[in-house]
Amino acid sequence: MSNRNLTVMILIALVVFVGSRSIYVIKETERGVLLKFGEVVNPNIQPGLHFKVPFVNNVRKFDGRVLTVDSQPEPFFTQEKKALIVDSYAKFKVSDTQKFYTATNGEEARAMGLLAQRINDGLRNEVAVRTIQEVVSGERDQLMLRLADSLRDVVNAELGVELVDVRVKQIDLPRDVSESVYQRMNAEREKEAREHRAQGQELAEGIRAAADREVTVIAANAYRDAQLVRGEGDAIATNTYAEAFNRDPEFYSFTRSLKAYQEAFQGQGDVLLLQPDSEFFRYLKDSSGGK
Amino acid sequence: MAWNEPGGGNNKGPNDPWGNGDQGPPDLDEALKKLQEKLGGLFGGGGSSGGSSKGSAGFPIGVVVVVAVVGLLVWGLMGFYQIDQQERAVVLRFGKYYDTVQPGLQWNPPGIDVVTKVNTTKVRAATLSESMLTQDENIVEVKLSVQYVIDDPTSFVLKVRDPERSLQHAAQSALRHVVGGTSMDLVLTEGRAQIGIDVKQRLQEYLNIYETGILVSAVNVDDSRPPSQVEAAFNDVIKAREDEERVKNEAQAYANAVVPEARGQAQRQVEEASAYREQVIANAEGEAERFIQLLTEYEKAPEVTRERLYLDAVQGVYANTSKVMVDVEGGNNMMYLPLDKLAEQSKVRSTSGSTTFDSATLRELTNQVTEQLRRDAAASGSSSRRGGR
Repeated sequence: MSNRNLTVMILIALVVFVGSRSIYVIKETERGVLLKFGEVVNPNIQPGLHFKVPFVNNVRKFDGRVLTVDSQPEPFFTQEKKALIVDSYAKFKVSDTQKFYTATNGEEARAMGLLAQRINDGLRNEVAVRTIQEVVSGERDQLMLRLADSLRDVVNAELGVELVDVRVKQIDLPRDVSESVYQRMNAEREKEAREHRAQGQELAEGIRAAADREVTVIAANAYRDAQLVRGEGDAIATNTYAEAFNRDPEFYSFTRSLKAYQEAFQGQGDVLLLQPDSEFFRYLKDSSGGK
Repeated sequence: MAWNEPGGGNNKGPNDPWGNGDQGPPDLDEALKKLQEKLGGLFGGGGSSGGSSKGSAGFPIGVVVVVAVVGLLVWGLMGFYQIDQQERAVVLRFGKYYDTVQPGLQWNPPGIDVVTKVNTTKVRAATLSESMLTQDENIVEVKLSVQYVIDDPTSFVLKVRDPERSLQHAAQSALRHVVGGTSMDLVLTEGRAQIGIDVKQRLQEYLNIYETGILVSAVNVDDSRPPSQVEAAFNDVIKAREDEERVKNEAQAYANAVVPEARGQAQRQVEEASAYREQVIANAEGEAERFIQLLTEYEKAPEVTRERLYLDAVQGVYANTSKVMVDVEGGNNMMYLPLDKLAEQSKVRSTSGSTTFDSATLRELTNQVTEQLRRDAAASGSSSRRGGR
């Protein structure tokens, strides 16, 4: 009786054990190959629950999502033999599980290593035929596209992975070159600063000079106008005098002379030596004036 | 429609790819549970019945059923979960994508379905700060922030390993790409907004290729500045710009001060000239008129007027001067004029000199000066009266 129970128990345990060994799940994020004594019998197992024969079949699972190969920054040489530190990454996913399994033994790290090496080589070639300028700004897209195109078929055929994208992240100059770039930038700024200051001086000088010129011109014009006006006055005055005095020039001469005498002898210190026989003293000696 | 009828997934047996429905696939837990139940039954009925448990008394079978029902109930209850309004859940059944679940109370068979909740409305942010080359081979430091939401939870969960790290990579690449195609001046000044727009576009493009399920809502260039090694020089440029403005303004200020002043002076000069013109004309007219009037009267009685004018004038002259009458008839060769004395006398009179005065001299001088002043005033008064006529 207990013997029979034991047998049942062992049998059940065996069934459970075998059952658990024969059931497997491929997740949506995974890809898997089914092996039969090491031979691939189903290279692309769909996600879900599956059965296999224990000990006969073997399942290898790989991550089926988009994975990233992030390479280390490395110096690359451009067409001008200048070094650039380039850092890139690639996105890929397992496309051909059988190929992937055979090429890498299903080891992701190994696949990444191989892929990184190929990308590195390809990138080196692409950078080598371009100038710094082209790598940095002009042709990044083309560079990436060409690199991806040249690698796509190869990695698909050889590693069983689909290259989704290759991108450069960092493109930098080596440290010592950066230093000289900083120096150059400093020099450029200095140039710019001086230019600004000099331009300021130039404009200021111009403004001052224009102002000074304007002042001079204003003064000169004013002098001209003033002289004109004065001349006008003089002319009118002269004309007025002439018209008046021309009526009797002799009388003018007479009155003007008298006025001149008065003006000339205003000083107290003047001494006049007089002859008594002058017209003024006509009556001094003789009340009839000599007549 | 599984989310409308909790537990409905359980009834989808016919549509199930395996065609086994719920009880078909022997899950490990379930199997163990059943085994335990069986074992319990065996031990329970071991002593009493010699035949099969089916044939024996109801007690052990009852226990088995109760345990099974309780177990099933517990298992069933464990399958309930709730999805917040902000969330969506990606459900995998036996590893295979089954459904993306909407908010509400949900049920999925535990152990069979794996539920991954993803917040799809929360705006997440990633920042990166890098130093990079510009188009003109300068180096700038740019700080970027990316705001994003998980737009497609299914892709986010299933398509990419570590999608957020992919976002970092893609953002880095896109930023460097865009900055690498922009000149330093633009990066540092008004080009920032455009850089944000371009990076966003590129970033989204990359993320779409990688099927990350991430939607970039905003890319903002928080800061872009020259590296610290050249910061001083950049600041100096700013200062230089200020200096330029300052010097210009100073010059302008000078111009603004000097030109109006000159205009004022010019006006003064012209006004003075006008005044002079008016003055000389008026003088001329006055003098001319005076002469004409005098002439008119003179013409009426020329002899007398002429005589009078002569005498008046000469009287004025003689009255003011020291006079020496010399009678030339007789001894003019004997005459001696003390001209030096006369000069000395006039000098004392006209200048105060530097000699010290005693009070008598001072009084005498004062008298002389007052007299002189009076005379001068009288003379000028009479002349002005004459001028006024």
